[in-house]
Amino acid sequence: MNQTSNSCSNFSTRLETVSVLVHRAIDAIQQKTIKKRNLIWLELTGCSGNIISLLDGANPDFKSIACQLVNFIYDNSLMASEGEAALEKLFSMADGDYILAVEGAVSTKDNGMYNIIGRWKGQPVTAYEAVKKFGEQAGHVITVGTCASDGGISAARPNPAECVGIQNLLNRRVIKLPGCPCHPDWFMGTLAYLMLFNEPELDARQRPLMFYSTLIHDICPRRPYFNQGIFASKPGEKTCMFKLGCRGPVTRVDCPIRKWNDRVNWPIGDDSPCIGCAMFGFPDKMEPFISYDTT
Amino acid sequence: MEIAADINNNIVTDAWTEGLLFRGFEKMLEGRNPFDAVYFTQRICGICSTAHSIASTLALEDALGVVVSQQGRYLRDFIHGCEFLQNHIRHFYQYTAPDFIKLPEGNTLFETDHNDFRLPKEKNDRIVRHYFDSLEYSRNAHKMLAILGGKAPHNHGVFIGGITTQATPEKIARLRSLLMNIKQFICDSMIPDAYTVAEYYQEYFKIGRGYGNLLTFGCFDGYEKLGTLYVNPSTYSGGRTMKLNPGEITENIYSSWYMAKSETYTPFQIIPEPDMKKSDAYSWVKAPRYRGLPYEVGPLARMWLCGKYRNGISTMDRTLARVLEAKKIANIMLFLLDKLIPGVDVQKEYEVPRSAYGAGLIDTTRGALGHWIRIENQVISLYQIITPSAWNLSTRDRDNIPGPGEKAIIGTMIRNSDAPVELGRIIRSFDPCVSCATHVYSKGNLIKTMQVVP
Amino acid sequence: MNDREIFINMIDDNLNEMSDTIDCLYTTSNFRVKNKLLNRLRKSMSNISMLTQGLRNDTSMNNPQPSSDRLFTLDELSRYNGRNGNPAYVAINDIVYDVTGNAAWGGATHFGLTAGTDVTSPFASCHAGQPILSKLKVVGKIT
Repeated sequence: MNQTSNSCSNFSTRLETVSVLVHRAIDAIQQKTIKKRNLIWLELTGCSGNIISLLDGANPDFKSIACQLVNFIYDNSLMASEGEAALEKLFSMADGDYILAVEGAVSTKDNGMYNIIGRWKGQPVTAYEAVKKFGEQAGHVITVGTCASDGGISAARPNPAECVGIQNLLNRRVIKLPGCPCHPDWFMGTLAYLMLFNEPELDARQRPLMFYSTLIHDICPRRPYFNQGIFASKPGEKTCMFKLGCRGPVTRVDCPIRKWNDRVNWPIGDDSPCIGCAMFGFPDKMEPFISYDTT
Repeated sequence: MEIAADINNNIVTDAWTEGLLFRGFEKMLEGRNPFDAVYFTQRICGICSTAHSIASTLALEDALGVVVSQQGRYLRDFIHGCEFLQNHIRHFYQYTAPDFIKLPEGNTLFETDHNDFRLPKEKNDRIVRHYFDSLEYSRNAHKMLAILGGKAPHNHGVFIGGITTQATPEKIARLRSLLMNIKQFICDSMIPDAYTVAEYYQEYFKIGRGYGNLLTFGCFDGYEKLGTLYVNPSTYSGGRTMKLNPGEITENIYSSWYMAKSETYTPFQIIPEPDMKKSDAYSWVKAPRYRGLPYEVGPLARMWLCGKYRNGISTMDRTLARVLEAKKIANIMLFLLDKLIPGVDVQKEYEVPRSAYGAGLIDTTRGALGHWIRIENQVISLYQIITPSAWNLSTRDRDNIPGPGEKAIIGTMIRNSDAPVELGRIIRSFDPCVSCATHVYSKGNLIKTMQVVP
Repeated sequence: MNDREIFINMIDDNLNEMSDTIDCLYTTSNFRVKNKLLNRLRKSMSNISMLTQGLRNDTSMNNPQPSSDRLFTLDELSRYNGRNGNPAYVAINDIVYDVTGNAAWGGATHFGLTAGTDVTSPFASCHAGQPILSKLKVVGKIT
């Protein structure tokens, strides 16, 4: 199953970072050196795939986040209460201390009426208003996934709902965790780091360097095939996916070593090209995803 | 998603299901490379992304004239099964159970705005334990998906011809061990828990029936050597089961925020333009119809049409059919796993024709899903998507005939109109793939808004 | 052989000579010979300094002259789209470059651009000031 060399101490250390950070934060909370923070998770114009991806987190898992690391104040798909009672909980946080995580882009068409997240005191609350209100006041804002970070697929040409990334609406810095979806480790690691040490070091595109510093191509287990000029002509082959339109050479993220779903596999390990889902410009600038007749 | 309901003398006299999130995928797909649709359409929904990759692949195979090999189908359908298990386990424990059981105090996520919890403490506590245990099994269902599909959500494996990669003995062994564990959880915990809930909420066998029109596009069906393992494309209405004729599917935008040359059209005809200023419209969801009638889709429709579940059509029957279906799917997957031959490469180089069209109709976790593709000049010129939730939560058509979800709510007796918990429970039994809220009106005055989660 | 390779070969020659000179310095006790050898060493160093300077100028130049005289119309260029056996060429500031094996051009496409086209303006907006073109093979110019 395409294992990356486990003997590389750089790789193995990087894989431990997230569980070390989360467990350190949980220990610090238990010893009362830091406080549990409140977490608001907004699902806007997107597919809710990032909260599902978070539920897929294995080490540590969702339960340890929701029960030991943060107070999950609001997430419209996981909370038991409904409608105005749910928004009541959200609005009760307005002046408090909280970290805001947003998945999905913000629709700006017709004053945001193309995405209404609920009603408060009888009035519709648009995603646009919610981001403005809760974004400016949050302790930190984390954009989870490519849509929230850069517009992503929700803003794909011709962008019918006039979607934009969260940063476009806010006069403050956000931490971007692009990826379609965002890997649970990237979110959990960033959250724990924020609670322990404040903002992690970010690159020029506001992505944490601890996850987004390496080009996929540079750590790809199939890199030797590229160097030798041995290329796959269709998915299913075990060589370099470059001729099929692989976006590994332009995408910065640690997918090849971290892998997905408890580290069992990843797109190139599945004999298909990387489609650059963690890169700005996805999907329009990463297409075509698969080309057959490349010279 | 919101439900507006008129309640007079504790009876729901009228209801509207309102989809309040517009995506516009069909417009986005125009002009793109047809192959890209497989990965692109998955992003419609993070919970049922595999379903879209499968429907899209089927539509492309139809358009390109590709005949998928049997090994290709087994591999792809196994991946689809993983999504069924993930979805059904999450839907039952994370979305349905909190309606009926009291979750632990002290966590904001678990606070509720009603108090209709009837289970005795030890039974309640057991299901709460399973609420947390289930996270591991639904996660492992996605892990199986990733073993063959690369990652989940939004897999890379499902593609024209089957899947991108091949089975290996190591993968098959790993899948079997994960699957056996999940099946055991379904049989030992999920099914008994659903029956426990049903025992204490008996009246839900009489609430939320709807029309009783059921439809499936078929799934795990028509294998060359194995025949049909689950259900063939078929419909049920007025006591009669019939073969499905896809030519009789239409969509209607009378009550939806869209404009088009014609209010009713067949999938290959028209992609309507969004228009939020349209009067009389109240939702982004359109109104799919079969032979002009609204039809319910989903696990109950499938279990009914294959003859495995005939207890009744109601809120509680939908929940029971879903958990029973999970066991059936797990058995089908074990069967398919036995048929896998390691190392068979099912991929070929495909060419996009200058012009072509194709349809991909398949029953997925939440019901019948259809993708229709038209290719001109080697790019997509039309892409139509009709989701299961569009069938179930469809709007009224010109004749003012409510959708199945609306119909299921109308006439319901509400015990306490300050906390109309019945409405959320009815709609959630359809497993809507959009988060959803309820407004309750009494004689035209809004008295309450509540949200219904996916 | 291009300029860059010539420079590198000359640097290697000088380094070899310096190595020989140092070997001689170890063995000689005659101070006249020693001074002569030290002078030779200094001369080699100044050669290397000159050559590295030349190399630096060469790589920082993002507008090399086409080494090939081949002329392309935009129509001809469009045939070199990297498909069906054709190599992948792009034009920047009227110079035609080969991107066939370039890693960032997977599937002969790059951030929504396709091979066989003039990419001057997207190049200027994304890669201004980056030493990219000198690493690409020049195949001709646009008429």
